[in-house]
Amino acid sequence: MTRTRIVLTLALASALTLAGLAGARTSSHAKAGVNTAVSGTITFDGIWTSSSGQPQFQDVINLFNKTYPNVHVNYKPVGNNLPTVLATAVAGGHPPDMADIAQPGTVAQFAAQGKLKPITYAKSAMAANFAPAWQQLGTYSGKLYALPFKAANKSVVWYSVPTFKTAGVTPPKTFSQLLTDAKTIHASGTPAYSIGGADGWTLTDMFENIYLRTFGAAKYDALSQHKIKWTDPSVTTALKTMAKIIGDTSNIYGGTSGALQYGFNQSVTNAFSSPPKAAMVFEADFVGGVITSSTKAKPNTGFNTFTWPSITPGPDASAVEIAGDLFVTFRDNPAIEAFVKFLATAPAAEAWAKQGGFGTGNKNVPASIYPDAITRATEAPISQAKSVVFDMSDEQPPAFGATTGQGEWGLFQNFLKSPSDVSGIQKQLEAAAAAAYKK
Amino acid sequence: MAAPPSGAESGRLGRYLVGAFFLAPALFMLGVWMVYPAVYTIVRSFFGPTGFFGHWVGFHNYKTLFTTSTLTTAIKNNAIWVAVVPAMVTAVGLVFAVLTERIRWAVAFKTAIFLPMAISAFATGVTWRIMYQQDPGLGAVNALGKTISGVFSPAGVLSSAFPSTPTLQTTSSGALVLKTPVMPGGVTKLGLTGIAPDAVPKGAVQAVLPASKPGDVVGVVWRDFKPGGGKAGVVEKGELGLPGVTVELRSAAGKVVQSTKSAANGTFDFTKVSSGTYHAAIGAQTFAKPFGGFAWLGPNLIVPSLLIAYIWIWAGFAMVVIGAGLAAMPRDVLEAARTDGGTEWQVFRRVTVPLLAPVLSVVFVTMIINVLKVFDIVYALAPESEYAKANVIALAMYFTAFQGAGNFGIGSAIAVFLFLLVVPVLALNIRRFKREV
Amino acid sequence: MASAVAVELPAPRDAVAARIVRAIARGPLNIVLAVLGVLWLVPTIGLFITSILPASADASKGWWQIFTKPSLATWGNYHALFHQSGLVQALKTTVYIAVGNTFLVVILGALAGYAFAWLDFPGRDWLFIGVIGLLVVPLQMALIPMFKLYDTFGLFDTWEGIALFHVAFGLPFAIFLLRNFFAGLPKDIMESARIDGANEIVIFLRLILPLGLPAIASLAIFQFLWTWNDLLVALTFGQNTTPITVWIAGQLREFGTSIDIIAPASFISLIVPLCVFLAFQRYFVQGLLAGSVK
Repeated sequence: MTRTRIVLTLALASALTLAGLAGARTSSHAKAGVNTAVSGTITFDGIWTSSSGQPQFQDVINLFNKTYPNVHVNYKPVGNNLPTVLATAVAGGHPPDMADIAQPGTVAQFAAQGKLKPITYAKSAMAANFAPAWQQLGTYSGKLYALPFKAANKSVVWYSVPTFKTAGVTPPKTFSQLLTDAKTIHASGTPAYSIGGADGWTLTDMFENIYLRTFGAAKYDALSQHKIKWTDPSVTTALKTMAKIIGDTSNIYGGTSGALQYGFNQSVTNAFSSPPKAAMVFEADFVGGVITSSTKAKPNTGFNTFTWPSITPGPDASAVEIAGDLFVTFRDNPAIEAFVKFLATAPAAEAWAKQGGFGTGNKNVPASIYPDAITRATEAPISQAKSVVFDMSDEQPPAFGATTGQGEWGLFQNFLKSPSDVSGIQKQLEAAAAAAYKK
Repeated sequence: MAAPPSGAESGRLGRYLVGAFFLAPALFMLGVWMVYPAVYTIVRSFFGPTGFFGHWVGFHNYKTLFTTSTLTTAIKNNAIWVAVVPAMVTAVGLVFAVLTERIRWAVAFKTAIFLPMAISAFATGVTWRIMYQQDPGLGAVNALGKTISGVFSPAGVLSSAFPSTPTLQTTSSGALVLKTPVMPGGVTKLGLTGIAPDAVPKGAVQAVLPASKPGDVVGVVWRDFKPGGGKAGVVEKGELGLPGVTVELRSAAGKVVQSTKSAANGTFDFTKVSSGTYHAAIGAQTFAKPFGGFAWLGPNLIVPSLLIAYIWIWAGFAMVVIGAGLAAMPRDVLEAARTDGGTEWQVFRRVTVPLLAPVLSVVFVTMIINVLKVFDIVYALAPESEYAKANVIALAMYFTAFQGAGNFGIGSAIAVFLFLLVVPVLALNIRRFKREV
Repeated sequence: MASAVAVELPAPRDAVAARIVRAIARGPLNIVLAVLGVLWLVPTIGLFITSILPASADASKGWWQIFTKPSLATWGNYHALFHQSGLVQALKTTVYIAVGNTFLVVILGALAGYAFAWLDFPGRDWLFIGVIGLLVVPLQMALIPMFKLYDTFGLFDTWEGIALFHVAFGLPFAIFLLRNFFAGLPKDIMESARIDGANEIVIFLRLILPLGLPAIASLAIFQFLWTWNDLLVALTFGQNTTPITVWIAGQLREFGTSIDIIAPASFISLIVPLCVFLAFQRYFVQGLLAGSVK
């Protein structure tokens, strides 16, 4: 009897061991992470082109393919025509599987029309990697629809180092110091401000940073959701503060007329040409890419950055305003789910972040991944700032917040033309907003 | 009207079949690709903003269209385009087509005029946008203007400077006058800022506050700035004098009594000044601004700028098509006219142009319709801040229909409006067709 | 060269003096046209010079800086473009689309143009006016209905689908031009051909087409050109089918001036339509009709 038991025990033990070993081998395959079961093709319409982002995004896709070699991501670089192409494809009934949309307002509109598929399967991946505010960004009517893959820090000011040196000023920490510095720079012989007003969004960005730093994140969100009207006295204060910059016309390169004709690109090349024609550009982290591709200015000796100066002291004095690329899905299948879940993880973001020109809200991406000091200074705050808000004009219904020549963009251009007419602009902004929200 | 074919198969059915054979393929393609979308657009204009059809709204879209100001500027602009461009393009094309017949290097000339058509509309828009830039250093058109104006009214030595203290004030003529009066034996200070280091006149050295001289009025004009700002109105170390500036001594009444030029360290000396109170001033010519460039892309000039660019592109089209018409003209008729003793101009007017009429009308009508639909050049050339001023119907339609998630209902209504605008154009030309036929 | 043929026919009883005066008068004409030609070329020359300047030089000073600093010139922008994958494939695709649709437009347009000019059937004139009216249909409004149609019939993302779209949109102008041109041809030629027993098809092939060559040539030039440079249709109806315009658009930066891409790409793209133009020049020859009545 005992021998039988021993034999049985041995048999059981060896069976278990073998099973365990076999199991270990399978799980080590799973740990090695290659999943050949999921297969398919994903069509992806994106805004990044071969000279700005496509190769880097391809690196992200290649990393994805290490785990899912049978999923082929077919990326189509559409460039700045993406909104038109996407709108046509959606209305015509044949959208791509995934697309990149810059405005939460547009995402909300597509979701309301029932065109998007929720990405609820990515919820846990997002919760593990992003603060709740980021998940809220892509949520509409309680369901998660968008993944904010790439983000830009809009609370950055870029300045021309030689101009600051000539004027003998240092990067200001407060707004009043900024105004004093601007005066000194003007006296030194160079206009302080380079404004690309032909692109209305540069003006709304300036307003939003001022409003955020004067009244804090909570009130900013309230205005963003139209819970506060544009005729509110807080908006009056912010507009008057903004007029201190845009009304200082002799201190803007090209004056008001120039500011209206120069687009964003030109405002950057003006400030960093040799010799620099202006001292400061109030725009986001992606200014760096324009400087390196279109001018000869070098980091630290030619250009550098400082955080948007604080206005009201307090916890939101250095809050960060974000804009971003939201990924949405028009269809649902295992291949798409795998890709979306992957994109929410830190390695996906790091594959691009380490090459520069990329910011993310993914809190698991360490600041050390960024390739140089200036990039680190502009990108790291996106995921690490305590107080984060999203670009207000992007969150509006597109008819108000993202329409060329109309709505916010057009009205702020009018404000640039006549910065003294604060109450007039407020009334027009409120009228346009009310009309857009009513729809 | 062609005479019916004589001989066999001259029945009506035969004619229909022949007509059908010639027309069917084209009519099929037109029906599917153009008539169907046109009908869809008309129907769509009665529905809501989103979806392939959406929900019915009746005439609501049209009401919105005519009550908001979206279209008023656009319609006005398109009217300007229609009035100016087709006539100019046809005329220029005709002139070029006729004149190139008489030169040996016609192909080279035609190629030069034709090239703009071969470049994509987007690239052309970008090219002209750069050419029209206000900054004379960047925009070709204003650079030319600057060269010309530089000959007639050269810029002052210190065109961007302004005073460092409020006591130095600008007069209506552009001169700077120091309010503080000075008397013989006094020292006067004229501090200027806003001068970039490389704009300081050559040979400048550290500014010096001169000692007073009895009977003279002395003073210094200098760049009142050092890194960090420095104290305004005080000559400090590191601040450069401004040489070569014309300083004037003005009487209390404002008349210029003496004028002199400042030295390398900015000092100047008015000698043998009779007693009285004076004011020091810097002449207006020092601050004469260089040609700042016309704002071709600004609200006032944007539409003419667009028209010029557009005519530059399309003259080549007119020239080539009219050239084809000229090539096919029967030479015997022209010869006969010349033999009858007519001058070249008479032959041109009485024979050539009427014979060219069919081709000219093709060019003219096509240009009218092209101009009603104009989009690419306005989209690429006009800065966004001027879209409102430069707006044209097709641009308004594009933004309404495709911005963000779009409002196709109103976009379709705009398209229908565009269709309707063509009706008078066609009506005007129907009579001309009838006459020719 | 057309102009070599178009020497001015002297009037029979011309005095030597009059001929000399005419020759002198041609001098100012040459000068005026030369000046006009150069002025007309300035923007294009500017674009070319921009394409041989590096991006950083473009942004800070005007392109005429090349005259003071010729050493700045570089073919680097062109090299960078050619190193991007897909340029040659894009050019090939564009050739398929442009040649394919131009060919069809010419044939269908000529057939319809002849019918409207010389065949008689009821409703002909109103139908013709309707066709011209279609000239006004803007491209943008046809995108969405055609998108749905293409999706149903599997024409999405094919060069044939894009080409067919262009054929349809090119037909109104083609029919307009050719009908007006054919209508101006001498009636007698066709009459005598019919008397000789030729049917419409023979007349069309043997008489109309050859006589209409100048108009057909100019139609071909422009149809080729417009479809070569089209962006919107190819962008909307293609996914992997990429003609040159879409390829260029896919190179442009999201932010930052892309003039260092647009300028050289424009010139590379310009070469083919320019060659087409020069090749078809020989059809603009006068005198084809001389003596044909006999």
